[in-house]
Amino acid sequence: MPECVWIHYSRPRPHWYALGEDDQAVLAESWSRVRSRSEADGARCQGSYHIRGQHDFQDVEIWIFPDSRAAFAHWEGLCGERYNEFFAFANNLGLAKEGADS
Amino acid sequence: MSNLSGDTDVFSSEQVGGDSRPAIVAFTAVRQDILDGVYTQEHRDRLTAVLDELVTLGWVLSLRRIFDRDADPQARVLETGFAHDHDIAGVFEAPDIDAALSGTVRLEKAGWARLFRTQWLIGPREFAPVPGSGAPADHQWGFIALWEWNDDWCRASTRERALYDEECDIAFRGDLELGVNIAGRHRLDLCHHWHHIGAWEIDGPEMAGRAIAGHERVADFKFTTSRHIVGRSRPLNDLIEPRDFTRAASPRGSTVNA
Repeated sequence: MPECVWIHYSRPRPHWYALGEDDQAVLAESWSRVRSRSEADGARCQGSYHIRGQHDFQDVEIWIFPDSRAAFAHWEGLCGERYNEFFAFANNLGLAKEGADS
Repeated sequence: MSNLSGDTDVFSSEQVGGDSRPAIVAFTAVRQDILDGVYTQEHRDRLTAVLDELVTLGWVLSLRRIFDRDADPQARVLETGFAHDHDIAGVFEAPDIDAALSGTVRLEKAGWARLFRTQWLIGPREFAPVPGSGAPADHQWGFIALWEWNDDWCRASTRERALYDEECDIAFRGDLELGVNIAGRHRLDLCHHWHHIGAWEIDGPEMAGRAIAGHERVADFKFTTSRHIVGRSRPLNDLIEPRDFTRAASPRGSTVNA
């Protein structure tokens, strides 16, 4: 299967701000491990960017995954560490384009 | 693949072999063939050829066939223009997410993109279909619910979420007693802001109204933001005929320079 782009928009949910710094750090470390594992499995993070000025969300991350299954494994890993409970999100998954437009 | 939340009394995880699950390919679409020659019979023929090939590749092209694999394989969609700002909505099912993504690209290129401006909603099946009470019903209407858990659900304890699921099961049992056929649950969160989609067969908008009133009684919506779509089931072939521009009036041309 062709590579997939995965675009991930996020913003903290209100109760994220109510957590202490230590609790935030523990969670952030678990999410960092998921990201590192995905990169070790062939994913490429193109960067994380701040977009709060023009969007409902705060940050956007752009990832390239070997296939959709790898993208799903990454997202499931984050959900397994409760990322989706502390951050609102919107995601897009797209196949690399082939051939001319029609 | 895991589910976003656990099985309930009403819903159970789809039992499938391997680690791939069927993927829903739901959509809302607005006709945009306003210019003569952009979408023609040739595009329609290409589009129907792709649809036929998707069936041979294991796609399900109607809500009815999710419940009954022996049902007519021809594509059926919901006519929704009477109540929504899109003309049609629909629920297909592909063998997996890769097939879903590549299939939508094939449809778009064959002519779908010329005919419709579309939002595709793709994600794997979580829960198996649950037929409504009584004889299997071949309803002529459909209902689609999109929802995401809100900040209050995300802040709630495991115990509060379990109680909430029990309350929602009361409403779902009411849906089934009304004769609603529920096509399980699919998760959409990999490719969308919606977390889930549920698709139902119903016998008309009144059934959807009675069912949703039951969900309101158990406070289903305290923990979700939802969007509901209702429409009448029609063969897709009846809704993708090229427009007959020879019959179209053209008042604009006579008034532009008036």
